Amino acid sequence: MTPDGAAPEAPIAPGAPTDEAGPPPSDALEPRAAQKPRRRWGELVLALATTALGTYVLVAAGSITVPGSTNTLGPRAFPYLVGGMLVVAGVVLVVLVLSGRGGEEEGGEDVDPNVRTDWLTVVLIVAILVVHVFAINVIGWPFAAAILFAGAAVVLGARPWWRAAVAGLVLGLIIQVIFGGLLGLSLPAGPLLEGVPFLRG
Amino acid sequence: MDNFSALLDGFSTVLHPTYLLWALFGVFIGTAVGVLPGIGPAMTIALLLPLTYSLEPTAAIIVFAGIYYGGMYGGSTTSILLNTPGESASIVTAIEGNKMARAGRGAAALATAAIGSFVAGTLATVALTFLAPVIARWAVQLGEPDYFALMVVAFITVGALLGSSVPRGLAALSLGLFLGLVGTDTLTGQQRFTFGVPNLADGIDVVIVAVGLFAVGEALYVGSRMRHGPIKVIPIEKGWRSWMKPDDWRRSWKPWLRGAAIGFPVGTIPAGGADVATFLSYASERRLAGKERRKQFGKGAIEGVAGPEAANNAASAGVLVPLLTLGLPTTATAAIIIVAFQSYGIQPGPLLLQNESTLVWALIASLYIGNVMLVVLNLPLVGMWVRVLRIPRHYLYAGIILFGALGSYALNFSPVDVLLLVLIGLAGFFMRRYGYPVAPLVVGMILGPMAEDRLRRSLAISQGDLSYLVSSPFAASAYVAIVVLLALGIWLKRRERAQA
Repeated sequence: MTPDGAAPEAPIAPGAPTDEAGPPPSDALEPRAAQKPRRRWGELVLALATTALGTYVLVAAGSITVPGSTNTLGPRAFPYLVGGMLVVAGVVLVVLVLSGRGGEEEGGEDVDPNVRTDWLTVVLIVAILVVHVFAINVIGWPFAAAILFAGAAVVLGARPWWRAAVAGLVLGLIIQVIFGGLLGLSLPAGPLLEGVPFLRG
Repeated sequence: MDNFSALLDGFSTVLHPTYLLWALFGVFIGTAVGVLPGIGPAMTIALLLPLTYSLEPTAAIIVFAGIYYGGMYGGSTTSILLNTPGESASIVTAIEGNKMARAGRGAAALATAAIGSFVAGTLATVALTFLAPVIARWAVQLGEPDYFALMVVAFITVGALLGSSVPRGLAALSLGLFLGLVGTDTLTGQQRFTFGVPNLADGIDVVIVAVGLFAVGEALYVGSRMRHGPIKVIPIEKGWRSWMKPDDWRRSWKPWLRGAAIGFPVGTIPAGGADVATFLSYASERRLAGKERRKQFGKGAIEGVAGPEAANNAASAGVLVPLLTLGLPTTATAAIIIVAFQSYGIQPGPLLLQNESTLVWALIASLYIGNVMLVVLNLPLVGMWVRVLRIPRHYLYAGIILFGALGSYALNFSPVDVLLLVLIGLAGFFMRRYGYPVAPLVVGMILGPMAEDRLRRSLAISQGDLSYLVSSPFAASAYVAIVVLLALGIWLKRRERAQA
């Protein structure tokens, strides 16, 4: 991978505007700037979804069958409580968001507080995960793993792509040997490697 | 002293070469993953859970003990050497330790953190050794309403006190409680919220939720706002002579002991775990420092690293007291450990020490040994941890996603589980993005079904009389404690904000 001593190259994710990379991390310990107003829409949707889920729980709890033998607290009581809590939390959050008091995100070592959310990265990684899910039983776990690792790495900025692909393939095969072959997890090796004894899960 | 002989038995189990190797493996992996930025102890254990699926219980528990302590040691290395703040438990260390490292005293900061963690971790493990059997013996007498009260305390403290926003904590907690409801009701056999899907009749697996939120959700979030550019690791001076000078020892040993004294009790009560302990230790070290020394706080005071790091480790041992004796997780990490126990069909609780005494004492013995291994490993290997810190972030997060997918697939070898993981990961991403804490969700999901069970059993005993819930002195004082803790929490948060 990266030679020691030399700092790794700056990865630039596709679609990420380079001019928004923000100031160097030396001031990362300073309190973050006030949150941008454009985040409120998504937050409102999340608060509304919480309320909606709570309402659904309250309604659906009524249709849980209560066997006659239950004398006191049946299977409906706790769902009513949880639904009520969801609705209360959701409504309070809707009010909070509408009055402009948004949530504070927690920081993180690799999070740049000054960059706008790169939705393309999120969508692409989720898409690659879905491909991985459907590929497991078709081409075998090691290759599905290679697709997932290489795909996610390239989306996150690994260059050149073939190095990520080789790394993914090697990683997938190593995990297959260790977990499938040695530790006995039944990971499907796939049609290509079906006959190799030490890979069989 | 039957405790002592039981502990010796535990040591004789752990000192078996195979188990020693597993312990070494656990602390090594735990430290390596703990050093990785963006991965807290809860995520470390959730991610490494699948590693142990095929191990026998004792080996698995020993590996987990190593991962648990190793993750704590690793986290401090990250916050001291990386130019950005790290996970919440070591964030106080980041202030002083990072400043020390920038002033060219990184090795001393790392050394005081590691040795302090060792001292406090060992003292706290001794306390755990003597306290756990006493509490377990006492806990056998607790009734259903007492347990329900304890769980309410855990809900309130983890859900409402920890985060920066009470309604968001409540929303996350309720969401976790809802996910815990999905499946077949244990008392009546009725299906709840399964939408007629047969896969959901057994409930949603907590491992998928934990990995989805902590690993996939976090990776998506970091991916969406990745810090680009070179990774800045502060260089540290070479050679053991630079670790700690006599003056550093003189300034460190009292904070270590005070940190242990603060951390362990705070860890044992459901009051927020290591975060609160580190903060309390930092505040008290600052108060106790003389006039001259106090000026150094915020600019790299070694007391500000030694105390909080010791408190952090002592609290981690303290957390194990309610976990092993009451089955009560007081932090997200503890909740994941409960899941690990449950995956072996072991239910932590007052009977654990009787029914699984070999296992528990092996676990406690492995904590002592893990601590020794960590202090020996950590300082000489710091060059390697620095290299781990430099792993290119695109490979790091791709690897986290891959291990998350592997872990959820390995549960039942069903791709449907991985799909569920993706959905929960997306939910985790949105929660993370809008400042919803994820820890209450995991705790709610694990404790929710237990709490419902206790509540309904209590009310079945009392024939529906609600006053039975507060009838025992213990339950009543637990509810009083909630009020006190809430007041204390608000006061602490005010102080924290005032100092920040």
